[in-house]
Amino acid sequence: MNKNLVSPSLKRGLTFGIVMIIFVLIDLDVMVATMLSKLFGANVIRGSLPDVRFMVLFLILFGMFVGWSTSSDDAKPTTKLFQALVAGLTLGVVLGLFDLILNQLIVTGTDVRKYLAALAPESIRLFLFDQGAISPLLHLGLFTVASLLGSLMKILLKSESASRFFKGVKSGYQGLKAKAQANTPNWVKKYGKFLLFLLIGLLAFFLPRIWGSYNNYVVGLVGLYVILGIGLNIIVGLSGQLMLGFAAFFAMGAYSVALLNAPLPHGIMLGFWPSLLIGILMAVVAAVLLGLPVMGMRGDYLAIVTLGFGEIIRILLKSDLLTSFTGGPRGIQDIRGPTLFGQPFSSDIDYTYIILVVMVLSIIIYKRLERSRTGRAWLAVKEDTKVAQATGVNIMTNKLLALCLGAAFAGLAGGIFAARNQFTGPNDHQLMVSMNILSILIVGGVNSIPGIILGAFTLKGLPEILREIENYRLLVFGGLLVVMMISRPEGLWPATRPNIEKDEGNKLKEDGAPGEGGLND
Amino acid sequence: MLKVTDLNVHYGAIHALQGVSFNLQEGEIVTLIGANGAGKSTLLNTISGLLPAVKGKVDYLDEDITNLEPQKIVRKGIVQVPEGRKIFAAMTVMENLEMGAFTVTDKKLIADKVEEMFAKFPILGKRSKQLGGTLSGGEQQMLAIARGLMASPKLLLLDEPSMGLSPVLVEQIFDTIQSINNSGTSVILVEQNAQMALVIAHRAYVLETGKIVLEGDAQEVLQNPMVIEAYLGVT
Repeated sequence: MNKNLVSPSLKRGLTFGIVMIIFVLIDLDVMVATMLSKLFGANVIRGSLPDVRFMVLFLILFGMFVGWSTSSDDAKPTTKLFQALVAGLTLGVVLGLFDLILNQLIVTGTDVRKYLAALAPESIRLFLFDQGAISPLLHLGLFTVASLLGSLMKILLKSESASRFFKGVKSGYQGLKAKAQANTPNWVKKYGKFLLFLLIGLLAFFLPRIWGSYNNYVVGLVGLYVILGIGLNIIVGLSGQLMLGFAAFFAMGAYSVALLNAPLPHGIMLGFWPSLLIGILMAVVAAVLLGLPVMGMRGDYLAIVTLGFGEIIRILLKSDLLTSFTGGPRGIQDIRGPTLFGQPFSSDIDYTYIILVVMVLSIIIYKRLERSRTGRAWLAVKEDTKVAQATGVNIMTNKLLALCLGAAFAGLAGGIFAARNQFTGPNDHQLMVSMNILSILIVGGVNSIPGIILGAFTLKGLPEILREIENYRLLVFGGLLVVMMISRPEGLWPATRPNIEKDEGNKLKEDGAPGEGGLND
Repeated sequence: MLKVTDLNVHYGAIHALQGVSFNLQEGEIVTLIGANGAGKSTLLNTISGLLPAVKGKVDYLDEDITNLEPQKIVRKGIVQVPEGRKIFAAMTVMENLEMGAFTVTDKKLIADKVEEMFAKFPILGKRSKQLGGTLSGGEQQMLAIARGLMASPKLLLLDEPSMGLSPVLVEQIFDTIQSINNSGTSVILVEQNAQMALVIAHRAYVLETGKIVLEGDAQEVLQNPMVIEAYLGVT
């Protein structure tokens, strides 16, 4: 019996110990401590180390998390504490042993950066709190206490009185909400939505003028990725075709605008708007050329073919063979920006406007498409191709249409992207771009516009803002995807379908609170 | 109404239909019975255009529809209700019905049809906003049939409508099929439950390994010793 308690806790402590060791080896501990210090307003110059207090804080939080997660939900408080104690001690012992090695490195003055690029002696010192030989003991004590604290926190927060308290708060909030709803004057109910849109519109108009070019750059990037996400969602989310080479269509748009609107290599200078249109058209043509031969494929096979297509386009753009036509590996510079009524319209504020307007238009088009007959046909094809066919849906044309429309969005985003950067080259259209867009859908939520916006912000906006984690971007990315798959498999903001009742039979009757009557309309 | 002549279909190396000929008059229920792998579903899939015929001909209302694309065949009034109740699980009951009327563009007609289906299958009306996947097996089969009827077919191809249903539901489904037929729709019924199928059908064909081995009035077939032994489970 007792063994059943000890062994999982031991394993957990060991696992987290190894996790912490890896953190230290790649210097992630210092980065987290730096971010914590920023949270508390300390100004850390790039490249310097944060105060040791924040390292202590990070380790305490880590230990508390271990204690929290080790205490099983249904165990008695004493058992929980015991589990946390075992896990905390294990964690402390593992890291204590690791500390001995680290301390030896410091004492002998060995620099391991030859093998572990990130592990500077200063980082090691910081991790050891600069206490040399007694730091293993410090860590042992710290983790044990922190783990117990975490467990204690769980006991308190999950106790009955606490849950009753939370329930009280929740019902109080709901009561307030209902009251507020009842007291809202009619004109707010009627025009509230328009007022909200007006407010957002005003904000979107004035904010780009106020908040500076860096924020405009970030918002523009997020906006472009929202457009790309919507395009890919038509292909992947609505019509169910797994597409991995989406960047190819993006490249079509970008290169069309670049080649038609830059002094070199052709000097056509057609102007931004017509070349943007041609870019969209080129993306659609590429989609048809790709789509016709591969429409018969599904799932993994389609994914591989489209992935290959994306790479072929990129390599073609880069090839020496086409250098005179596409500018080769160096790309195309000095792309001329758009004009509006004869005036140049290409400041960073103007681009933010263009992107926001295009984004809103894309959302509207997407919403119309989703609810249309074609949208329904796509859903049917996605669910069961054979049955969709048996109800009279033309599979070929519908799949091809989805591909073309998705590509058109990518071409549009690509054109704006190239003009905004005044440059485009093969490296703007790597496989990673396609992966990023797909990840936005997965992280945010397939078929959900708020999800795509949230996903684009999480994956493109946050890394821009949190420049510190640049080196750890892929690690955080991977970790985020794993956590998402476990905790929110449908995305951060999953798609909702308002007209659906859940078949909960008896449950509905039991919980038949007055608020739920609205479902049955 | 429908005339199939010397139909041959292959799945790769397997010769699934080996020269099948049969016909159906307007207003009839014709049942195809046979063991697993006899080619019953293959025959239906070929008629509705989901499988290509290598040789042979399918004539429908004096028109050659062999190897026509499935969406065109649906528009001509032949609708298949596939085996295993393949409803769209992630769509609501209402959306499933609307999908059934995909070939209909007249919104009023669709609304009328939906009303008609809800009258015929009241349980679907009650559950119109539920996801198809949350329905019970019997309800899903009702929905599959209703979805097939949404396009106002002249000829309904039913593939194993009683599969996996409880005896009470089976009876209900067969009553429904009979009433569909009474309102003027011709039916081709593929069934493993030969007993029930033969009771409501006008004529029957027995398929064995891709060939028709017996045909005749349903009553005659019901009394045929070979059929009794092989399909009706009487020794």
